[in-house]
Amino acid sequence: MSIRLSAEQAAFLQGPLSINVGAVGRDGWPCVCRAQGVLVARDRRALTVLLAAGRGREVLDALDAGSGIAAVFSHPATHATLQLKAPCAARVAPNSAHHACHARYAAAFGGELAALGYGDELVRGLTALTAAGDLAALRFAPEVVFDQTPGPAAGRVLATA
Amino acid sequence: MKPALESLRACLDGAIPAVIATCAPDGTPNVAYASQVHYVDAEHVALSYQFFSKTRENVLAHPYAQVQVVEPGSFRHYRLRVQYLRTETGGPLFQYMKAQLAGIAAQSGMGKVFVLRGADIYRVLDIEAVDHRLPPAPPPPDALLRLRRTLDHLGACDELAQLADRALAALTPGFGIRHALLTMLDETGASLYTLASMGYGHSGIGAEVALGKGIIGVAAHERILVRINHRTGDYAYHAALRTAAPHEPRIPLPVLAEPHSQIAVPLMHADRLLGVLYAESEHDAFFSHADEDALAIYGRHLAALLAQLAALPDDAEPLPAAATPAPTGAPLAVRYFPDDHSVFIDNDYLIKGVAGSILWTLLNEHAQSGRRDFCNRELRRDRRLPLPDGGDNLETRLLLLQRRLAERCPAIALEKTGRGRFRLVLDRPLALHAMS
Repeated sequence: MSIRLSAEQAAFLQGPLSINVGAVGRDGWPCVCRAQGVLVARDRRALTVLLAAGRGREVLDALDAGSGIAAVFSHPATHATLQLKAPCAARVAPNSAHHACHARYAAAFGGELAALGYGDELVRGLTALTAAGDLAALRFAPEVVFDQTPGPAAGRVLATA
Repeated sequence: MKPALESLRACLDGAIPAVIATCAPDGTPNVAYASQVHYVDAEHVALSYQFFSKTRENVLAHPYAQVQVVEPGSFRHYRLRVQYLRTETGGPLFQYMKAQLAGIAAQSGMGKVFVLRGADIYRVLDIEAVDHRLPPAPPPPDALLRLRRTLDHLGACDELAQLADRALAALTPGFGIRHALLTMLDETGASLYTLASMGYGHSGIGAEVALGKGIIGVAAHERILVRINHRTGDYAYHAALRTAAPHEPRIPLPVLAEPHSQIAVPLMHADRLLGVLYAESEHDAFFSHADEDALAIYGRHLAALLAQLAALPDDAEPLPAAATPAPTGAPLAVRYFPDDHSVFIDNDYLIKGVAGSILWTLLNEHAQSGRRDFCNRELRRDRRLPLPDGGDNLETRLLLLQRRLAERCPAIALEKTGRGRFRLVLDRPLALHAMS
């Protein structure tokens, strides 16, 4: 049973955030990969994270093998962080909306990092992470939302199915 | 080819947060940011433990994790497969991470949140370079070349004052360092005093730092090099901490109000701590890991030179004192407090401790016998002076006293007349008052 994200949470998730997706491989090893963009479904019950398939091979293989998914979204300027978890994620074929979302994300997150004083090299590196043909899209329906903003309250459950 | 952990040290400075993925006993993944991933050695890293988190719960149950780190200049990612081994809650590594975390916390505006509870030690089992296509970050300046240049400028020093000044001055052409202090361990072993400084509005000669306090004190107490690459808002890690109670006289440390990078290098000769070399900068990430290595070697070299100078024999024959007219003018009031050997000149604090008692002894000898020429050997044997056995830091104390007098009371001077020999020179008559 999925939960419905609040409008604020949906808006936050689609901001210029650092996004990382984790899974657990068949061998029990946890793995993680940076993602580059997210689309929240209109009903706010599912979202699609975008990542470079080549860079995220281990995570994608783990999810294909039935691993649960954990995705962390963090705003670099404020450290406001959410973690969403779901028991599974499905790979969907990337479409033009996904590509557009990825391009928007790279520009917005790059701008965010530049505003924080990170150099041009880093912003260029960020945008170079994903080659256009390499995009993978993972759709999942979160069952738990955690507040993971650093501090003693990190780990608090904000919503659960 | 698998990258070596050493080659990833730039990724481990906290400039870009690392991420750790763990697995719960039921197989659920968890992803969290790691404030600090610290290079321990070629096979181990340490992660900061600040709160009992899901990550911690997971690794205690299932000790395998993956850590993703990012190279700041290039955004190249690396993934480390790691195995949790243990948590350290004290000792050099913990203290280093605590100091560094204060810098990271202040840089990220999380100073009140980031308090280190432990250093979680992980063995690195595998390293994956994720971004083969991205060009590497431009290499930092060659630290070995910087060290060589620094040593060239340091040159041969056969005298302590020269060594103290050149040890700092040589850092500018070598490493571009413009603000630095040379602090020496005092005879109690509980604090350090400033012997030389560079790049500040006032010299701060004689300023003290308690062992274990501030970045200098932590470096001395733990005998480890401490490098903080971001501005730290945590007062405890400012270099400027004092040993004395608030009402006692003090000489302020002449450090930057808001350093963005700091490094404190213990001066170790064999297993003996002689002092701490401290440098700082207004710029973030001023000291690279390679600079840290090079300055650690420089610290060893300086300590060896300091020990070598201290071991040189004094000149044997006393020089004849030249006759000089008695000083004239209004007498300077010199007050001495035996409790802490502090000396005040016309109510202004001058010095305390060993240096204070040396000055008081010399002035009394002069008042009683008219003597002006003295030698280190007799001071080492003088039971009135609170010197440790052997008095091997006498020379640094005399230099400290000489410099404080030159700054605060030029009417009293100590002039070197040979190795281990010096002369008391007075421009004004003195009125000596021993206070009870």
